[in-house]
Amino acid sequence: MPSFILKRVKKGCLPLFQCPRISLCSSKLVPNFPDSNQSSKVLESGLSSVLLNSTKNLSGSISTLANSSRFCSQNLQSLHSNPKIGIFAREFGTQAAVEPCTSDGLTVDGIVGSNWTILEEGEGDWKSHAAAIAQSIQVIKKRLQWKKLMVRLDLLSAELNKSDLWNDPVHASKISREHGSLMGKMKEVKQFEQELLDHIDMIKLAKEENDSELESESMEALLRMRRDSKDKELEALLAGEHDSCSCYIEVQAGAGGTESMDWAAMVMQMYKTWAQRRGYRVTIVDEMPGEIAGIKRATIKVDGEYAFGYAKAEIGVHRLVRISPFDSGKRRHTSFAAVAVIPILGDGSTHVQINESDLRIERFRSGGAGGQHANTTDSAVRIVHIPTGITATCQNERSQHQNKASAMAVVQSRLDQLEMARQAQMNAQHTQSLTEISWGNQIRTYVLHPYRMVKDLRTNYEVSDPDSVLEGDLDGFILSYLSTSLDKDEDEQ
Amino acid sequence: MMKLRLCSLHYGVRANIWRRPVSHYCSNSKSIISSSIEVKPKLPLYLRPPSFSTSLSELTKWHKWAKNLASSVGSSFVHLDNGPDSTLLQRELNWLLEDLLEVQHHSQILPLLKSGSNENADVAVALRVPLEDLYCAWRQRIEERRPFQYVVGCEHWRDLVLSVQEGVLIPRPETEIIIDLVEDVALKNNPKLAQGLWADLGTGSGAIAIATAKTLATRAHGRVIATDLSPVAVAVAAFNVQRYGLQDLIEVRKGSWFEPLKDVEGKLAGLLSNPPYIPSGDISGLQAEVGQHEPKLALDGGISGTNDLFHLIDGAASMLRPGGFFAFETNGEKQCKFLVDYIEKNKPDSFCNIKIVPDFAGIQRFVMGFHQ
Ligand SMILES: C[S@@+](CC[C@H](N)C(=O)[O-])C[C@H]1O[C@@H](n2cnc3c(N)ncnc32)[C@H](O)[C@@H]1O
Repeated sequence: MPSFILKRVKKGCLPLFQCPRISLCSSKLVPNFPDSNQSSKVLESGLSSVLLNSTKNLSGSISTLANSSRFCSQNLQSLHSNPKIGIFAREFGTQAAVEPCTSDGLTVDGIVGSNWTILEEGEGDWKSHAAAIAQSIQVIKKRLQWKKLMVRLDLLSAELNKSDLWNDPVHASKISREHGSLMGKMKEVKQFEQELLDHIDMIKLAKEENDSELESESMEALLRMRRDSKDKELEALLAGEHDSCSCYIEVQAGAGGTESMDWAAMVMQMYKTWAQRRGYRVTIVDEMPGEIAGIKRATIKVDGEYAFGYAKAEIGVHRLVRISPFDSGKRRHTSFAAVAVIPILGDGSTHVQINESDLRIERFRSGGAGGQHANTTDSAVRIVHIPTGITATCQNERSQHQNKASAMAVVQSRLDQLEMARQAQMNAQHTQSLTEISWGNQIRTYVLHPYRMVKDLRTNYEVSDPDSVLEGDLDGFILSYLSTSLDKDEDEQ
Repeated sequence: MMKLRLCSLHYGVRANIWRRPVSHYCSNSKSIISSSIEVKPKLPLYLRPPSFSTSLSELTKWHKWAKNLASSVGSSFVHLDNGPDSTLLQRELNWLLEDLLEVQHHSQILPLLKSGSNENADVAVALRVPLEDLYCAWRQRIEERRPFQYVVGCEHWRDLVLSVQEGVLIPRPETEIIIDLVEDVALKNNPKLAQGLWADLGTGSGAIAIATAKTLATRAHGRVIATDLSPVAVAVAAFNVQRYGLQDLIEVRKGSWFEPLKDVEGKLAGLLSNPPYIPSGDISGLQAEVGQHEPKLALDGGISGTNDLFHLIDGAASMLRPGGFFAFETNGEKQCKFLVDYIEKNKPDSFCNIKIVPDFAGIQRFVMGFHQ
């Protein structure tokens, strides 16, 4: 994966790492995870290095078991006497038939299996670093859905090797694009793995020959890798096909009138600040205000790399419990807001072809004779895609033409999404159903009264400071969701 | 007939604009435009230099005041004459702020203003007009019902931002569709028309002419003549043409309908117009923004509203070359039917493929066709 992505991810996540509140809250979380083994793993590798500090005592069980398993056989080893070449020699080689290993047969799984103590970065010997890196590599593979990835790559390679492939150029370029992208991901991990093993070889060699300079160089390199591996873990959370896309975020108020409309506006505000803090560009596409307060519905466009990858974690129904500011009786109210997230596919992707005659374009608010009779700055339009019933409105641009273009872009993205969902069903592949949010699908509860807490019902991640969350401090929720959902996936394989 | 030499107009206009004292921004909105020969287009707010400074707290104070004034309207204007409600006025207020502040400061200052927080109160903010003028401008918007577009001096139309001022009709969203007709009907049916000469009669701000020239330029080397009887319209249209750097493709001429086009008779590839079409009797009942502020010359189409439309239909056959395209905007279904009947009865051999096209509100709005 190109290094700029790495940098961006790193930068984008810094506030989380540095936020002491999150680290505090998160460490409280541990007991909430249903499976404590899994929870420590998720927290340790998934959330941040700050979390690592707070949880290391939980997971750092010391084991003196010798590395007893997984030596490579001698003949395989000879294949790798020069580790820099070899693995990717085959043309569309995909399946890792041979596992990379050190000259004495140590593999990544082997390292993890030996349960070397993982100490803090500043302490410890090479084994501590190597164990931390190896653990990261396992997490990364899990998140990339390694086994599926290999199967898919084999499938794509087989397609690519067909002689009649280019008879259908659209299909062919789609296949070769996907192959290239998956191949890139696979190679990157493999290279990282190989690098680790190389450094281990180097250190062993240096020790044998008492070359202290070489030894400290290699230690340095391991330390660097250990730091990089944390970024790569995060990066691997966002490896989905459309994760790097910009997106639309839509919020709709549930039943309950002003109460819910106010809540919907708060939720929308939360996403606006979240996105802005992450450095994304936010534009309001459509906003339907409530009669008294809040919004009935609104759509924003979030522009920037990985906007969809993160925001997709927010799809579902958000529930608020509070003393209503609109209730003179000061009673407790529960309100709901639904959130949908739609990726905006890049130019490289295939878009659903839209037939002009399938569209009905309407002035959103009209009335009167129009034309020269009326001077209004309201040029909202609604576009209806008749065959699917998909509609989109835009009213925040200053010309009708621009409103139409924005609404059209929303229609396009919704149709693309529908098509993606359809294809995913056909391939029986995992996909989130993004199109229709059912009000039963509650993902998170925000309680302002009688106690204060925000809790994600999918991950049990919770914090005790709702204000910070409503001010856009969502990364903890998002990352914990992404990591747990990916771990779950792999287990289901 | 008078031809304006655009180049010389450009420099003259520019020099004058930049020297114009700023207080003119808030000039009396009801001033009568004299028909003096040299009309100086006003520089829209968003193009003015940000040379005035105020504190964030002063600006916040103004913003709160303006918001309150907007919400006090409620839907009273809607009931009165189908005018704007307070939601719309709030949106206009946001746009006013966008035009007022430098673009690179939008993302910091606009959220602060909207939240109304008292943080950073003494931060200095650069404005394009003095703060006092803003009070006056927003009062004019609400109390005098001065159109928002005259207040900020521009209208966003299609992908253009056109300068407008008192004396020039503010282009309407409906009219945008004329350009779709040019692209999707005229040029699709007959791509050669893109190389020809087009005319926009009664060009006002130059909207139709500029958008047409831009679409022709993406295909071939077509040119456009834009005409108007109003000297203000001619000056403003020329200014807008200049702003889009289209002076080589668009010629602005002053005169009544076909009169300034005698030299191109029978040569036009396309003829477009949104002529005045409101029946005289309806003028007094118009929404205040329109009736009290926009020029009658741009609205009043005679007793039935069709005087100018019939005049245009009558001239079209002799102005258009064979295969040439025309599209006119009308007051609605009744006028559309009138025109089509008229053509079918009186000029059955002159035109073909006559069609009525609705706007996005579903009102039969346009009549179009081709010269045989
Ligand atoms: C409804 S406005 C249309 C302006 C512009 N084309 C638009 O769509 O925004 C009609 C225009 O016709 C112009 N006009 C009125 N009588 C005219 C005449 N006799 N000859 C030429 N233009 C005339 C007015 O000055 C006005 O600019």
